[in-house]
Amino acid sequence: MYYICCMNNEFVQNWFSQVKKGTLSYIILIILDEKEYYGYELVQEIKIHTTLEVAEGTLYPLLNRLKTEGIVDSKWVEQESGIPRKYYTLSANGKATLTEMKKIWSALNTAINKIEK
Amino acid sequence: MKRIVFINPTAQKIYDDYFARVSRCISILNDDDQLEVLMELNSHIYEATHMAPPAIEVDTLVNTLEKLGAPEVVLQPAVAYKKIQQAGRSFNPVHIFQALYLNISNGIGFLVMGIIYLLTFAFGSLAVVKIISPEHTGLFLRGDRFFAFGYTHDLPSGLVELLGNWFIVTVIMLMGIFYFLNTLLFRLLKKN
Repeated sequence: MYYICCMNNEFVQNWFSQVKKGTLSYIILIILDEKEYYGYELVQEIKIHTTLEVAEGTLYPLLNRLKTEGIVDSKWVEQESGIPRKYYTLSANGKATLTEMKKIWSALNTAINKIEK
Repeated sequence: MKRIVFINPTAQKIYDDYFARVSRCISILNDDDQLEVLMELNSHIYEATHMAPPAIEVDTLVNTLEKLGAPEVVLQPAVAYKKIQQAGRSFNPVHIFQALYLNISNGIGFLVMGIIYLLTFAFGSLAVVKIISPEHTGLFLRGDRFFAFGYTHDLPSGLVELLGNWFIVTVIMLMGIFYFLNTLLFRLLKKN
């Protein structure tokens, strides 16, 4: 008996979309742990370090949500152009959250590696 | 908020149109939240476009706006979330209803789907009921006025059943149409 195997593209795309949604906030926290970034700069940084194609407009609502949760702080900084930049930093609560997320990510990674072997 | 001034008039028009759409999408929010969203998008667009030479100003702006996404799509979840916060803070019934409306749209979609499934099942059952009880099932008219479609225990004098065995064909066709509609609605909700 022959089996024709082919990837279920729709399933993989849906799964990848969920993974992206789940990991984007983690990626943002890791990037903001280094230094403060303004919105556009943060988008570029995500692009440099990952292959995730993120709708840039979705990033700002996410940052606002992180701010409401007390995970990031933000401040408007005036520029010579007259158009200010909004800088985001990790709050103390955010740093503790990131440490916890790193532990969970590491445990998950270890578990998957074990299963795959 | 200081607006961006473009050299190319087409770019200026595209920018103004985009912000008009953004303003419409967030008009339900309070003034502070509206200003915050506008300033944030304005800052992003400025950073992405201000280095572009005038010759490619339009292309750069269009590319930036495409990456940001349509405001109607991108801002909807954020507006719904902010509205919940606003409603929670103010206890203003208007804000509470607006927040419910913005967040319940998916819920309503699934409720409609449930009702359509119920109708699909009901039409299927009517085909069987017509076989079991043909006199009481069908499309009934009394005089020239509609009386009932389906099963009726009550059969007053002067009642005429129009479809006969075609009633079974009709309900099976209705079942198919409603099933198709539900599948479309499900795909639409899944996509959203």
